[in-house]
Amino acid sequence: MSLAFLRNDPHGRPLVTFVLTVLLLVVFGAGQGALLSPAVVRSTLETFGDTGLVALGLGLTMVIREFDLSVVGVFSVGGCIAVLTGNTDPWTGLLLALALGMIAGLAQGWLIVRLRLGSIGITLGGMLVLSGLAYVLSENRSLPYDNMQVALALTQPIAGVFSIRSLLTLAFFVVAALVVGTTRIGRDLIAIGSDRRAAMIAGVNVNAIIVGVFAFSGATAALAGVLVSYSLASASPAGLSDVIVPAATAAILGGVSLSGGTGRPLGIAIGMLILGVLHAGLNVLGAPPYAEQIVMGAVLLVVAVADGPLLLRRLGMTKQLIKPGLISGAHRNG
Amino acid sequence: MAGALHLLSTAGLGKSFDGVRALSEVSFSLAAGEIHAICGENGAGKSTFVKLLMGILQPDEGSIAVNGEPVVLRGPQHAQNLGLGFVAQELSLAPRLSILDNIWLGSAEVPFFHRTTALRRRARAALDALNVGDWDLDAPVASLSIGQRQIVEIARLFARDARILILDEPTATLSDAEIERILGVLDSVRRQGRSVIYVTHRLGEVFALCDRVTVFRNGEHIATEAIAAVTRPHLIELMLGRSLSEMYPQASAQAAPRSAATIVRLNIPGQVHDFSVEVPLGKIVCIAGQVGSGANAVTRALAGLIENATGNVWISGIPLPLGSVPRCVANNVVFISEDRAAEGLFHQMLVRDNLVAASFRRRARFGVLDWPALRRLAADLAGRLGIDRRRLRSSAAHLSGGNQQKLLFGRALQRAGGCLLLMNEPTRGIDVGARADIYRLMRELCDQGFTLVIASSDLEEVAGIADVVITMYRGETVGRYQRNAIDMSRILADIIHPSRSESTVRRVEPAQAL
Amino acid sequence: MNGLLRSPSPLVVLRTIAVAALALISVLTPGFFSEPSLLSLATTVSFIGCVAVGMTFITISGNIMSFSLGALVGATSMIFILAMNFAGLAFGLAAALVFAALINAAQGLLIGAVRANPIIISIAATGLIYGVAEALAAQGAVYPTVGVHWGSGKLVDLPVEFVVLLCSAAVAQFLLSFTVFGRHLLMTGSSLAAAEVIGVRTWRTVTSAYLWAGLFSGLAGIMLAIRYGSASMTYGIGYEYNAMAAVLVGGTSIKGGEGSALRTLIGAIVIAVVEAVLLLWGFRQEWQFFIAGVIVLAVVALQTQGKRD
Repeated sequence: MSLAFLRNDPHGRPLVTFVLTVLLLVVFGAGQGALLSPAVVRSTLETFGDTGLVALGLGLTMVIREFDLSVVGVFSVGGCIAVLTGNTDPWTGLLLALALGMIAGLAQGWLIVRLRLGSIGITLGGMLVLSGLAYVLSENRSLPYDNMQVALALTQPIAGVFSIRSLLTLAFFVVAALVVGTTRIGRDLIAIGSDRRAAMIAGVNVNAIIVGVFAFSGATAALAGVLVSYSLASASPAGLSDVIVPAATAAILGGVSLSGGTGRPLGIAIGMLILGVLHAGLNVLGAPPYAEQIVMGAVLLVVAVADGPLLLRRLGMTKQLIKPGLISGAHRNG
Repeated sequence: MAGALHLLSTAGLGKSFDGVRALSEVSFSLAAGEIHAICGENGAGKSTFVKLLMGILQPDEGSIAVNGEPVVLRGPQHAQNLGLGFVAQELSLAPRLSILDNIWLGSAEVPFFHRTTALRRRARAALDALNVGDWDLDAPVASLSIGQRQIVEIARLFARDARILILDEPTATLSDAEIERILGVLDSVRRQGRSVIYVTHRLGEVFALCDRVTVFRNGEHIATEAIAAVTRPHLIELMLGRSLSEMYPQASAQAAPRSAATIVRLNIPGQVHDFSVEVPLGKIVCIAGQVGSGANAVTRALAGLIENATGNVWISGIPLPLGSVPRCVANNVVFISEDRAAEGLFHQMLVRDNLVAASFRRRARFGVLDWPALRRLAADLAGRLGIDRRRLRSSAAHLSGGNQQKLLFGRALQRAGGCLLLMNEPTRGIDVGARADIYRLMRELCDQGFTLVIASSDLEEVAGIADVVITMYRGETVGRYQRNAIDMSRILADIIHPSRSESTVRRVEPAQAL
Repeated sequence: MNGLLRSPSPLVVLRTIAVAALALISVLTPGFFSEPSLLSLATTVSFIGCVAVGMTFITISGNIMSFSLGALVGATSMIFILAMNFAGLAFGLAAALVFAALINAAQGLLIGAVRANPIIISIAATGLIYGVAEALAAQGAVYPTVGVHWGSGKLVDLPVEFVVLLCSAAVAQFLLSFTVFGRHLLMTGSSLAAAEVIGVRTWRTVTSAYLWAGLFSGLAGIMLAIRYGSASMTYGIGYEYNAMAAVLVGGTSIKGGEGSALRTLIGAIVIAVVEAVLLLWGFRQEWQFFIAGVIVLAVVALQTQGKRD
């Protein structure tokens, strides 16, 4: 693994982070040695299956320099709808939820393109409306799902460590990676995130791509909600920190920058695996549940700061301030 | 050349904006295998002409013919289909994508799975044709220099089989070596029988590269000449060809008592090299230069806006630390940007608040504003600037360009006892009527003890308003002129094509005045 | 304000009609004007109102919103009770306010100085606050060992909480309209580049904006703790959304650079009234988010439409 690979390949940095995370946990858990057991791998993949799809959708909106807050709402409402309508036929619930997620994404994408507005305002509204819908549908309780066969089928281990859920998520990542890597759509996506004005001048249909990405983000978030609710055999409204924190952390760890144009689906997948390993590792080490929340929050905070455009400049300035002359100068003027 | 087939020709082409003629009676022709330069000052109509050819604007009169067939260009896409390709000053490349992907970005020919060998081969062929066949098609454009990116833009046109390439100031921000490379590339374009319309300010490139030159002035088609038939002085004369208007107020003849600022060896990596000047108190110093000359960077650096600027600057004898705006402001240095929309106005705020925006800290006690004093100040300033006082309570977004600029002047006016006022392109986007007001204000400021340093690419303005002119070309200082030695044709010669030998001679001669 | 006199923009007309309609509906809703109903309305609006007043600073600064203010409310209530148990009411108040201000100012510093993304920073902070709170107080709620309550205390016939809200809004409006900080905040939100060009230290302004937002949100946490005689992280959950809705309804632009605390106060009251009316009409509490969402979408869409012309 040469250094050039780290710099140039979009997957280099996420991979290294992944390896470092595993090493870190191995060092911390040296006493237990349970860290490399199949159970840990399985748990990692289950976490991957839980939020991976949301991270993929959210990550792609970040690649085009947008941010889809509404994934929280879509995730919740998707789960509720599926559980409410899919008792007899799970496919009905799945399709309804997917349709709702996609329509929500299309509508928001259309508004963003139409009003030429930043996505935060619109998707904040979307998130509240959809989360609100989930609260209304569930009456703020946990909705039970009676079709235990579905739940069992979804969580049934395949080849020891996989499940339908994690395999499906993996499949989505692979397809997304192929689309981004080999098709015109993927190329346009990166062009838009890289320099939207240039892409428009060059003749890329920027608006269609934006709407499409939001529709995709809506659909994947809904699918994730359905899968989680089916396999837990219950649905309840999810909070911001349950969904957005891991999804955004995975995306940024996976090489997506908020300044757009960077990051690839496989990178996001690796980012998600990092979180999965962290989760499983903390469990094995016997850390209390809040420890994970703290670790997640801290990681997101650190990656967000590292992503800050002025970070390097500020670090340089701090060095300058240590020179005594400038400190007195600053006092005089301030 | 009369018998040759013309790839492109126009007859009596004209365009007006809001009743103002931007271009009239252009009859132009482009032969196959020709590089045709379009020259003219700022506002001469060059960009309007290019936009008409690309179908971005529709002509009011006249016609365009491609390959001898009259056409109505419905839009940029249509123009592209007819074999016209355009490289704007601002690049349209996505830095994160590879060279290959950028070459085909936005093309209608690209299939869904875009990595086809045919497209790769054609892109490779385009790079080969431009003598850059050794480039890696999969390298990200972000890893290329600006000049190399220009070549990718040209390759894009090649790959799509454009017969006519229109380049708008492609060398404005390039280094010498990169310019050489572009010129080489264009030469190979010509040898393949394709044609180039080359819009430029720089005469050196015109003489080095082009076959014919068309000169625009004030929207009129002045002349089209074979390069072999014109000389440099003649071309400059064609571009200028007018006397100064009565727009500029008379400067006081008094010599400056002392210097307001001393700048010694100001350096900005990649932009400005060893810029030094003594700025006399109460005078207007113009730094004249085209885009990429570094003139704008000098004023930005003095304002503290460029972090990696180095050099020694004294304001009235006090050393000025560079790289921090608040420190520069505290040292009585005020900067007015040419980009008033982005770096000047607060659009959501009132005209009044905009006027006194820089004075809040000084008109406050323990952080609490003295609004009565601020209101009086605003009203007073409005009077001095000629802004209608009733406008003070309306939103700044609705002001005209001239009034916006006056408002920014107002911010400087509040610095009692004068200050060093730095401006870039003080009258860009301002109509002729308001310009005279701006120039009058500039002169008044001088009389009140202000000192102005202006970066401008508008020659008439430079010659009309400056007490001292410094010409710059690609980061280097070319010449210095005092009030009565200011001569438009020499300034123009300096900023578009300084020949080394001449500039050294000139440097000896007017420098004694400083 | 000026526009009202000359040519009323469609937005102003719409806003007037909406408020009038709301007033009419409230009058026609049976039970709305009963004393307990109004009292409970005035109390609930106070908590969210304080957060909304704080949020106004963040929105004006151009950083859209903070997702962590709700968590901050809960955390401040806990700190208040714990510190009060430790060394009395005054210490509790001071500790709680300092805590709230610092937690938020730290986020503001990262956002202002490094230009880290405000949304991500505040979401990360939310997770951190909940996590740390859970680590420190696993039992959930904390209770005071000394008795404090203003109970159903009233000042001039108004609940104390509402008076605090009015004072907060007044102080905030004073900051915005009459201080150097306020003007610099508006300038920073309107155009960061233009503010930097005239020498405003924008990182300082942004940090201060977050600091004030923290202080006002902290007040809400303290008031909740006193009102319920206990503190818990469940206080304040979701407040940031209603607060944001109130800010937007109050006409503060989501793009930053303009806005007013007093109008946010009106916005908070409007939203509380809407919710109270709907509750009386039989819409359950669960509709709260949905309503806030519809309001946010409508206002954001209308704000940009109004700007077009």
